[in-house]
Amino acid sequence: MTATPQLSSADASIARFEKQTSRYGRNTMLIGLALSLIGPIYIAFFSGLEITASMVWVAFLAVAGTFGVLWFVEPLTYFPILGSAAMYQAFMIGNISNKLLPAAIVAQSTIGAKPGTKRGDLAAVMAICGAATVHLTSLLLFVGVLGTWLVSLIPADIIEVARLYILPSLMGAVLVQSIVAMKSLRPTVIAIVLALVMNFVLVPMAPALAMFATAIVVISSILFSWVLRDGKKTYSSES
Amino acid sequence: MNTHPIMAAGDPGSTDIWALANSPVLWFCALGVFAVIFVQCVLYTKAVKKAAPHVDMPLAEVKESFRAGAVASIGPSLAVVLVAIALLALFGTPAVLVRIGLIGSAAAETGSASISASTMGAALGGESYTQQVFGVAFMAMSLSGAMWMICTLIMTPLLKKGGNNLSKRNPAVMALVPTAALLGAFSALTIAELPKSNVHMILVFISAAMMGLCLYLAKVLHSKWLKEWALGISIVVSIIAAYFLHTA
Repeated sequence: MTATPQLSSADASIARFEKQTSRYGRNTMLIGLALSLIGPIYIAFFSGLEITASMVWVAFLAVAGTFGVLWFVEPLTYFPILGSAAMYQAFMIGNISNKLLPAAIVAQSTIGAKPGTKRGDLAAVMAICGAATVHLTSLLLFVGVLGTWLVSLIPADIIEVARLYILPSLMGAVLVQSIVAMKSLRPTVIAIVLALVMNFVLVPMAPALAMFATAIVVISSILFSWVLRDGKKTYSSES
Repeated sequence: MNTHPIMAAGDPGSTDIWALANSPVLWFCALGVFAVIFVQCVLYTKAVKKAAPHVDMPLAEVKESFRAGAVASIGPSLAVVLVAIALLALFGTPAVLVRIGLIGSAAAETGSASISASTMGAALGGESYTQQVFGVAFMAMSLSGAMWMICTLIMTPLLKKGGNNLSKRNPAVMALVPTAALLGAFSALTIAELPKSNVHMILVFISAAMMGLCLYLAKVLHSKWLKEWALGISIVVSIIAAYFLHTA
């Protein structure tokens, strides 16, 4: 880098931008965090559902055993791509790999800016703002208004079927989607074998295991994949 | 039981999830999250506009970036909408808007809810899916989502200061661990559906086959939109199959 006066003014304004967006980002995310918890706390503890703290703890621990490692790994993975300003946007808006990253890349190529450059970073932030605007609007309109109305029109027996069978209908596809996205044969085989053993051998033998079945499969998948890893292969962590 | 008009009067044993899941308090919180993200966008846009001229970025390019991002996300957003609508019956509108539409993803959040239900000896959607189970599942998935945000809040400033040390020092762990974790989670969640009933088993295979077909066609036809819509298409086809299998 050459230290022309123009460049140093660019550095100063980028430093100011980062300071500003970090403050805005942190504060808005904290408010979003609080709002996202008030709803469930109200439902769980102030609606007469007789839910005890230990019920929530057990459920939370089982979920933590399954997804806990991703809480830490995902921010680590996306930080180099997103930069600090966009981190606070991305983890509140969600759908990072399937929507926000493609939007950022499209915007950068539209104005011919390289990722990682200052123009590239600013373009990515603006692209995520654009993506968020479209996303918020379509969610409010098509899910909030139209979806609620649609569900009230659909006959009750079809809703009942959807509720009863949404999980197998979703999970089959999600599993295939993640297998294809990961392109890692060994961890895939290990995970599926462990899940089969858990659900068809261990849980029938000891039904109490069902509570933490997913968490146990996840943790043992990580261990076995590591021990039996293919030294030559590189893994991509994109989901 | 509750005399206060705004209080949602819950009944732990009732399976009428919607009576509780569409309460005004939840709507208020959901719209609040939308408003927060909107405000964040406005503040960020202002900051970008201030900084852009100093890095040789004309305002036209700022607008162009916004527009490019908006256009690029129309397809993925509508694809999320379809998946979200399919989950309305399970969680009610406000929870779907916040958990599936925003913060989380359909797969992780529905997975979390299913895991939570199983810790109470219940299954999502069935007769054992009571208001109490919904309450615990909603709480657990929100806490899990909160952990993602807390990690982001704590780690972003550290990463900015110290660089990405862990991933530089040990890139193999960084890549293998999430791969194995995700595959383990979704294998376990999917295979747990198989023993529930014959219909469940058939639906898992229909849904998996539809996803396989969509991804194959997307690859052969170089069709980006088909890849985006694959999850929504698989769910809709499976639910239609479920209706015929269930009523047959």
